[in-house]
Formats: sequence, C-alpha cells, structure tokens
Amino acid sequence: MSDQRVIDGRDLQPPEPLELTLAALDTLCPGEELLLLVNCEPHPLYSILKRNGFRYASEWREDGCNAVRIFR
Amino acid sequence: MHPNLSFEQAPPISVPFRFFLTAPLFGILAGFLLAWLGPDALASRWTPGALALTHLLTAGFMLQAMCGALLQFVPVISGGNVWRPRLVAGVLHPLSVIATLLLASGFALQQPLLLLFAAPLFAVAVGGFLCVVGLTLWRTPALGPAIRLVRFALFGLAVTLLLGILLAAVLGGHGNWIAGWSMLRLVDAHVAWGLGGWALMLVLGVSSQVVPMFQMTPPYPALLMLWWPRAMLLTLGLLLLQPFVVDSVFEIYFDAMELCAVLLAALYATVTLWLQARRRRRLFDTNFVFWRGAMLALLGFAVSWLAMLVLPAIGDEPSAPLWLGILVFAGVFVALINGMLCKIVPFLNWLHLQQLVGLKTLPPNIKQMIPEPALRGQLIAHFIALVLLLAAVIWPPLTRLAGLAFTASCLWLEWNLVGAVRLYVDFKGRTRADGRHRES
Repeated sequence: MSDQRVIDGRDLQPPEPLELTLAALDTLCPGEELLLLVNCEPHPLYSILKRNGFRYASEWREDGCNAVRIFR
Repeated sequence: MHPNLSFEQAPPISVPFRFFLTAPLFGILAGFLLAWLGPDALASRWTPGALALTHLLTAGFMLQAMCGALLQFVPVISGGNVWRPRLVAGVLHPLSVIATLLLASGFALQQPLLLLFAAPLFAVAVGGFLCVVGLTLWRTPALGPAIRLVRFALFGLAVTLLLGILLAAVLGGHGNWIAGWSMLRLVDAHVAWGLGGWALMLVLGVSSQVVPMFQMTPPYPALLMLWWPRAMLLTLGLLLLQPFVVDSVFEIYFDAMELCAVLLAALYATVTLWLQARRRRRLFDTNFVFWRGAMLALLGFAVSWLAMLVLPAIGDEPSAPLWLGILVFAGVFVALINGMLCKIVPFLNWLHLQQLVGLKTLPPNIKQMIPEPALRGQLIAHFIALVLLLAAVIWPPLTRLAGLAFTASCLWLEWNLVGAVRLYVDFKGRTRADGRHRES
C-alpha cells in the first residue's frame, strides 16, 4: 500500500487548501499519495494538476466532503 | 448544493479589475459632492443633490462593481467564455463611466439635456453588457440556482434600464405621451426593480456561492433559492402596473406589493445571518463583518420601512426616504461590495499569478495582497461613514462631515485595491525578468 499524506481543507478559507496542496506537491514522491479533503469541486487545482502532469481522482463522500486523491 | 466554480474560462484579469478600480472613485465623488452641497442636499429625496448622489452610488459605484463581478463570475459558473471580453470591457467600461457622469451632472446642475445625452449611452453600455453576458448564459448547458438567479438579475437590470430611459425622456421634456401616468409610481417602479430585481437578486446569486465558500457556512436552503427569486419577480411584476393605474383605490394594493418585496428582502437577510451564526470556523474576517453589517442594515431597512408604514407621522417626513436610501445604498450594497472586492481581488491576483508561475515558485500568500490592518481600517472607516450619514439625516449639520467620512472610506477601499494590483504587477514583472535572465 502506498504512503498517504492528508490535507484537511474543509475548515480553511479558499485558497488556503490550494496553497497547502501546491506546497505539498513539490515534495510528493512517486508512489506517494496526497489526499485533499474539501467541501467544493476545486477546479483551479484540477487544471494545475493537469498542466503539471499529476493524476487525480475525486469522490464525494456521504458526509458532503470531496476527497481528492493526487498521485505523481 | 456545493459551490462548483470553474476558473478555466475566467477572462483576463484586466477585464474585471478596470470596473473594480473605478467603482470606489464614484463613491469618492459622491462623498465630495455631499460635503460640498451640505445639508440642503438631504432636505428631501427630490433635491438635485440627492438625485445626483443616488445615481453616483447606483449607476456609478454599484453598477461598475457588479458589472465587473459578472464578467468574472458568469464564465466561472457557466463554464463558457464571454464574447471578446477585452473588447467588450474596453468599449462598455468608458461608455458606462461617461453615461453616469452625464446623468449625475444632469441632476446636480438641473440640466435635463444632460439626462437626454446619458440615456442613449446607458442604452448602448448596459444594453451591450446585457446582450454579451446574456448570450453566455443562454448558451451554457450548466444548470443551478446561481445561473438562474443571474439570469433573473439581468432581466431586472433590463427593466431598470428601460424605466430609467423612460424617466430621462420624461424629465428631458419628451413625456407628453405618458400624460395620465403617475410619475411618482414610475420612479418607485424604477427604484424597486433596480434594488430588488437587479441588485438584491444578483447578491442572492453571488451569496449562494461565496457565503458558504469564504465564510464556511452551511449552504443556503434549496427552498429559498427556488422560491425567493420567483416571489420577488412576481411582486415586482405586479408593481410594474402602478404607473398606469392612478386610481387611489389601488393604493393599498400597491402598498401590499411593496410590503411583500420588503419582507422578501428581510427573509434573505435573516437566513444569511442564521447561516453565519452556524459557520464552522469562528475567525475574525473583514469580509464576514462587512456581510454581517450589510445584513443588519437590510433588516434595519425593513424595520424602518414597516415603522414608516404604520406611523405615517414618521413616514411622511421628507427625510424618511433618505434614511431608507442611506441604509440600503451605503449600509447594504456599498458594504457588500467593500467586502466582496477585498476578497475577490486578492483571490484573482493569486489565481492569475499561480497560472503564470506554475509550480516553479509560489505566488505571494493571499493574506499579503491586502494587509489585515489596512482591511480593518477600511472596515472601520466604512461603518463610521455609515453612522455619520444616518446621523446627518436626523441632525443635518453633520452632513458635510458625513460626506467627507464617506469619501475617506471609499478612498481607503481604492487604496487597498490599488495596493493589491501593484503587488500583482510587481510580481508579474519580476517573474518575467527572472525568466529572461535564465534564458540569456
């Protein structure tokens, strides 16, 4: 199972979750996973991930939280 | 209902920023005009000064900020581009500025000819804006309450514009064909559509996205988002009949319609305050305080309106409409625009700079864009100005001081926005210079 780092952005003001995620991407190793928890669909992040060759999968959970898994 | 915003289609940053930076200038001008005219300006809602001030705030401050916000917000919620945004903004922005200056000058100098010059310019500027933004919303397959509310708000702006052009024509001496209509009711319909059908409708649409996102509140109730705009449009639609029905038998019917519109406004304010009370993080935030102040002012407007209805001795005072006007224009909309601009401008700065630099380096932290002490100063300046303006209605010798305080509060807003834009320009310049340095 791959390593996972978690950023809980649910109670942070935009774009704080985005800022933290971008800072974490710098040190994300191959095989490692970054999990971002937010209450919205972070479109700006998706376009940044696509432009920079990262993969991601998002899933809305029953508690109303969007779990975005990011891989290098 | 989760905020679902796409920034892929956002226009160039210069498009909304030119409107945002112009809006406070109209507030500065309005404050100076009030300080110059003094207590005479607030003798009644019909003085040349009061009419000029009202239009500097509505057609100047509010329209500039709201058009700029829509040019940014509509592509984001609809996922579609506005047609040639640079060209549209390049033409419509100066036209709307000139039209507003002509309109306010026409009222202040009592020169109806200037109103006749302003009307066609508004028709082109606002009409063009409605066509371009309306087309984007027409084409989008996206659905949702925010899109529906913005469509309704644009319809409200179109009705306000038409009634305004009609009134300018009448005041310019071309009103023989409407003999028999009630001019007072025509003005009331213009005001009701401008405030309820355009401004408050748009505020509800924007609230549905930004209040849960920036203030971390629960979402607005789906029932409110579904029925509030329909009830408001129906009420305002019935109020549109009032200029044509001059029989006093119908007075009570129109008063009831106005009461419905005021109660709907109070309902929106109450729900927003209730959501704010349930926010997940209780941090001090200037945007939050501006919104809370605006919602309390909206409730104050509704309570004052009801008191004036129940107690005609108060309601018949010439200063009564001015009290309501200051509460709703300065207390509600100027406060909301202050709060929104201080959130949106740093946010757009950050997003655009991030796109520029990619992952090579991080743009400045969003909290550096407008420093917190400067934001607090702006907040305090706004509320001092609001209190002084309201006090000036009761005690007119305060009028000049209130005008200067309002100028100071708008200057502070402009200073903060210019500071954020300067930071954007500096960072962009440094990034480009670094790029050239690495290449050489």
